[in-house]
Amino acid sequence: MTINANIRRLLASAAMIALTSSGALAKDITIGLTSDAVHMDPQAGEELSSNIMYYHLYDPLVRRSADLEFGPGLAESWKLADDTTWVFTLRDGVKFHDGDTLKASDVVFTLERLKKSLMANLAANIESFRAIDDRTVEIKTFRPYAALPNDLAAILIMSEDHVKKVGDAIDMKPVGTGPYKLGEWVKEDRIVLEAFDGYYMGEAKVDKVTFRPITNPATRTAALLTGELDIVQDLAVRDVARVKETKGFEVVTRPSLLNLVLALDMREKSPTIEGKNPMTDQRVREAMARAIDVTTLSRAIMNGLSTPSAQYVPASHIGHLDGADFRQMYPFDVEKAKALMAEAGYPNGFTLTLDATNNRYVNDAQIAQALASMLAKINVTVKLNLMPKSNFFGYIRVPSDNSSFIMSGWDVPSGDAGSMYGVMFYSRGKKEGYGQVNRGSYSNPEVDALIDKADSTPRVEERDAHLQKVTEILMKDIPMIPVHYEQDIYAARDGVDFKPRTDKFIWAYELDVKE
Amino acid sequence: MLGYTIKRLLQMIFVLWIVSVIVFLMMSFTGDPVFMVIPIDSTEAEIAQAREILGLNNSLIEQYAVFLKGILQGDFGRSYVYRQPALDLILERLPATFEIVLVAIVLAAVVAIPLGVYAGANPNRASSRAIMSASLLGISLPSFWVGMMLIFLLAVQWQMFPSSGRGDTVDLGWFRTSLLTADGWHHILLPALTLSLGTMAIILRMTRAGMMEVMRQDYIKFARAKGVSRRGMLYGHGLRNAMIPVVTIFGLQLGDLIAFATITETIFAWPGLGKLLIDSIYRADRPVIVVYLMLVAVLFVVINFLVDIIYTWIDPRITVK
Repeated sequence: MTINANIRRLLASAAMIALTSSGALAKDITIGLTSDAVHMDPQAGEELSSNIMYYHLYDPLVRRSADLEFGPGLAESWKLADDTTWVFTLRDGVKFHDGDTLKASDVVFTLERLKKSLMANLAANIESFRAIDDRTVEIKTFRPYAALPNDLAAILIMSEDHVKKVGDAIDMKPVGTGPYKLGEWVKEDRIVLEAFDGYYMGEAKVDKVTFRPITNPATRTAALLTGELDIVQDLAVRDVARVKETKGFEVVTRPSLLNLVLALDMREKSPTIEGKNPMTDQRVREAMARAIDVTTLSRAIMNGLSTPSAQYVPASHIGHLDGADFRQMYPFDVEKAKALMAEAGYPNGFTLTLDATNNRYVNDAQIAQALASMLAKINVTVKLNLMPKSNFFGYIRVPSDNSSFIMSGWDVPSGDAGSMYGVMFYSRGKKEGYGQVNRGSYSNPEVDALIDKADSTPRVEERDAHLQKVTEILMKDIPMIPVHYEQDIYAARDGVDFKPRTDKFIWAYELDVKE
Repeated sequence: MLGYTIKRLLQMIFVLWIVSVIVFLMMSFTGDPVFMVIPIDSTEAEIAQAREILGLNNSLIEQYAVFLKGILQGDFGRSYVYRQPALDLILERLPATFEIVLVAIVLAAVVAIPLGVYAGANPNRASSRAIMSASLLGISLPSFWVGMMLIFLLAVQWQMFPSSGRGDTVDLGWFRTSLLTADGWHHILLPALTLSLGTMAIILRMTRAGMMEVMRQDYIKFARAKGVSRRGMLYGHGLRNAMIPVVTIFGLQLGDLIAFATITETIFAWPGLGKLLIDSIYRADRPVIVVYLMLVAVLFVVINFLVDIIYTWIDPRITVK
């Protein structure tokens, strides 16, 4: 009897241990974001917090890795049937959160809905699409377009049944195929995501992810230090040293894709310049490029947390020209810049207005002020016209009737320079879908022809070659001065295995925590 | 009384109309909301499609007409950014703001009125002087600084309170409250204290000034002479007569706190209305701003109405006409 009782007690305690340890195995993580998500419907809008949620809840056909490599997502393979027709084969047996199986008709439904939505731009290159059978989708592009898979990485597949059932409420009741399901969303307080056990790539390692929107950067840091958060997004520059010094935490930085660029007006007559526009002369543009000291900007204004731009797109992109560096072509050199100005016939400089935001990019207003004082050294008087982003993007928009000189950021998460070059450097008004953000009215028939060629080959290598030539010409022509890439700064407590993504979309599926 | 109420209601409708016109005019200068919701490199056709979806393809006057017509049918318009009814967005966040203001204002009243009475009745004591100096600090220290210091000391250094957020909540129908959970109280104390300091100081100073004035009156001496206890004299006779300006300020402060708790809410990541207002201004989300400001206007009118009623309780000689 006593033996029996002892055994029973032993068994009971073993069961207790098993219970508690399985409890301890449930991993959860809390991440501090700068703002709450606005939508859970990926076709309703885009800003960073919503984007982060979208990629937890939904999947694209083509997946973009943390380092901007493109590979199979919901589509396990794809091939070109002819120059403009792509055939995508879906994975077998992918489940939505509600148990439905993903079918080609869901993809067709998603694209149809997208074309009619605010985000129609994501499908700008897609002409038509149809389901061939349950697992095969055919997508046609307007013209041969090699970067279609890259574009598809931004299109998240929704469930036709579910959307038709809930209608507009999809924004609050998302159902996708993604690694996480929505558990709870308390506006402005928290978003709780739970691992989806039917995820086709295997269940996530972290079972529960809580996102907390904390706008004030100092509070975000405090919440990390008190242990309320495991990871914070966008650590304030002034807190970097403090967090580094504190035991148990680390600061993680990564250059972002956002290239801060200065667009120069190339029209004969520019809105804020009296008389002829000096910037039509390449020498003047080169002088301005040489007068800007990006190293000082980085050190004095960005606290070292910026990377001077070598080109218009980062090295990972299609169209990046290996070995070409804007900073080596036009190093900071005031004397040389002055000489170029004199040679071009403007020894006394000229006056123009710089349009810039004051709440969109890191330290944007201070950067604009610094640019003004740098350009003053070559007698270019820069008047500042700073405004909040809600005014800015309408103000500078093409035909840019108010602007001569614009500072703005541009990122290309699709990893393809073509999408940027087509909208920014193609001659205005020549072709629908091209040149609509060509704010400086740059026009070079050679560039147009190369972009046309790039957009008429279905082969990526050829596209890359054409776009590299465009890069080379642009760097000589200088329709825009690239300044720097901001750095994304995160902090995490020790024990969290966290690597930031180039596209900033924190993805808990790639995270793990040690107990 | 009924006539008075109707007059106030008509006044309110007039105020609301003015607010809506001002916001509509103002928002026509703050940029085009369409560029806040679509990708920058959208083509003309895509921009046109977005305008159509958002109802922005009409002139401002037509948009205003649509808005007025909607209001008469109980529809306050949809947010451009959230694509949800603007009123829902606001009502969803109202309980959080409401409860932090409630705690803050109660805290302010409970601390400030007794201290104000004390300092007013004994103006020359050192302790009164200390109270008055402290109240000056309360008025002059900005709330973002106080909030950050509280977080730094009580949350980060001594780990007594959480730094931010609202904690566990309980659903009472549509009203979600954190005041019924221990965790909720743990979270609300620091932000409520931060929010209350300014109001606390103002009420304290108003109470003291009123008390000093009243204490010189003859009826106080008579009350003392007739044998009323000191406590009864201070609170029954003194405070009651000093209350009118205090109640006025109290009402204004209450409205102010609800409408503009923004800074404190931002610092403590409190999920209230303030954040919505700021975001909406940045994103040129006119429908939300209009409804928010109209709600604030209603709030002020209602509070002032209640204050007027309270006057008649405090001082029966006052009647509302």
